[in-house]
Amino acid sequence: MQNSEENQQELKPSETQLDLSITQKITYLQTLQKALHDGDDRQIYELIDKVRYSREIKKSRSITKAEDLSNLVDDVHAQLSHYLSQNLIEYLGKTYPFFYYDEIAEGQFDIYFGNWWDRRLFGQLDVLNVAFKFDDDEYGKLKKAFELDAMHQRYNTENIAAITAKSAELQELINHQDERDQEKEGLRAQQKEVSQKSTMPWDSGKVKEERQGIIDKLTQLADEDESAMNASKTIKENDDRILELSKEDTILNYEKQSIQKTFDDFTHFESHNSSLYTDYLTNLIGKGQVISDD
Amino acid sequence: MINENDPSTLSTSGRLLSYNSAVKEGLQTGLKFTELMDKLISTKDADVLVSSAQELSTFVLDTDYVTFPHQYNTPDYYLIFMSRLLELHGKDNVITLQSHEDQHLTQQIASLEDKGVFSFTIANDGTGGVYYQEQVTGETIFYLNLQRKMLRINSAAITKLFVITYHEQVATDQILETTQLFMDFGSSLKEDYGFSVDFNILDTSNNEFYAFTNSNLSDEVVDKLFVAAAKEDYMLMHSSDGAVLELPNQVTLHITSKNAKWGMTVHDDEEATSWFKLLLDYPFVREWYLENLGDLEVKSDPLVFG
Repeated sequence: MQNSEENQQELKPSETQLDLSITQKITYLQTLQKALHDGDDRQIYELIDKVRYSREIKKSRSITKAEDLSNLVDDVHAQLSHYLSQNLIEYLGKTYPFFYYDEIAEGQFDIYFGNWWDRRLFGQLDVLNVAFKFDDDEYGKLKKAFELDAMHQRYNTENIAAITAKSAELQELINHQDERDQEKEGLRAQQKEVSQKSTMPWDSGKVKEERQGIIDKLTQLADEDESAMNASKTIKENDDRILELSKEDTILNYEKQSIQKTFDDFTHFESHNSSLYTDYLTNLIGKGQVISDD
Repeated sequence: MINENDPSTLSTSGRLLSYNSAVKEGLQTGLKFTELMDKLISTKDADVLVSSAQELSTFVLDTDYVTFPHQYNTPDYYLIFMSRLLELHGKDNVITLQSHEDQHLTQQIASLEDKGVFSFTIANDGTGGVYYQEQVTGETIFYLNLQRKMLRINSAAITKLFVITYHEQVATDQILETTQLFMDFGSSLKEDYGFSVDFNILDTSNNEFYAFTNSNLSDEVVDKLFVAAAKEDYMLMHSSDGAVLELPNQVTLHITSKNAKWGMTVHDDEEATSWFKLLLDYPFVREWYLENLGDLEVKSDPLVFG
């Protein structure tokens, strides 16, 4: 052991660059490890994305590619994400009190909006990039709900009104079955009468017209009968659909209220989302200062 | 050869003796009956009360030589027993017994005013069970079996009578007073004789699991409650094992599954709230339950309510 230094050979000049690279990597990993041990999440965020950190937090552009060694930890992203999620989710719990997270696999988080019945799966939390990845459809619906709110409408108001009107029509068809039956009876009697009429040649066109008129009416009534027969089933299906839409409106309304309570309006919500990285890292810096001040 | 048991072989005096002893026996039976009636009507001892009711319910008063034209029937003894047990537990004036000319009794409940006439009918189940029914509607409120020491409340009848029929005619307080009477009767049976009692939807315990008729409850049924609650500014919440509705006074309704079957529990600090009470107190809860009764109706003991 004591001879080890003596045994070490001088590096050739061509090898010093390699030596430096290795030293940099070791330093990188050691710094990361120390940050982990110290619970210094800010440092970890800086190390895993130096480019972004310099640009958005330090506001400096000078970063050489050599300094970015973050690919060294590419294979531990899941573990890093799991680790970093603890403080991030605690922070988000205060700033976005209506989001709930479910770790579906190590470091992978689903976002649920709200804690109400059948709340929506709203997207994923990208812990390493401190970003929400919202589901486009769900996000779009919420955005639309906000726009409609200005007109005092809900997302499915028109849809529900249209289906309700259809059901009312069908109910009318069912209600008028007796009248249709009577009308059919009358028409059939008329039909018989017309067929028994002896027609003069000069009358034949008129009688034909009359017959056709009766047939047309009977056909129309038969069509209505058929619709009425299926109407109960359709009304039930419409009710199911209205329930589904009402539920969606209720959920969107809860979501809207949650956002209004925390951010006043959708625009503020969006701007907070886009500055989440800066806000969180700034918050971590603030915390670090408080700790070192103590 | 003289056979003492065969009057035809007896001499005249023998016949008279035999007749006399048969009448004595008949009168003895009558006396035994009146002793039991005395006990049933006036004993202060709960054990004496139940044993006299049980004996009377199967008592054969008539003998070949002595018959009694005026007799009560098994259901009447049960009505007397119910009144007396409540009386022993300090509930004196909650029910009244009407005596009818043809020697039978019916019961009326003070808190229901003049609505509802109640009595017992024999269950014919071979084990001595009886049903407690409302006479006008024919609804069976509970099953009682003194031998097997059990009482089972029927949720369907409680719903039809007290959530639908009487709910529109009588104040909620009075309805609760009425159902409390059934609870008191059940509790007394439990306390005094160790009965097994199923209070069903009247049960206020937090642990009581109200099992739905449809054990595979569909999400749509819960969706309906979610939408209806929202309209009344109540939020049906997500929970890891179903849904929770938070109501005023720290009362929560949990829709949940137990042994893979869906049902509900109702929680409050005092354990004073039953599913039944929620049905009376919250119109949206009541409408939801009644409109989806096919799925939601709380199960009653299938062994006694077929």
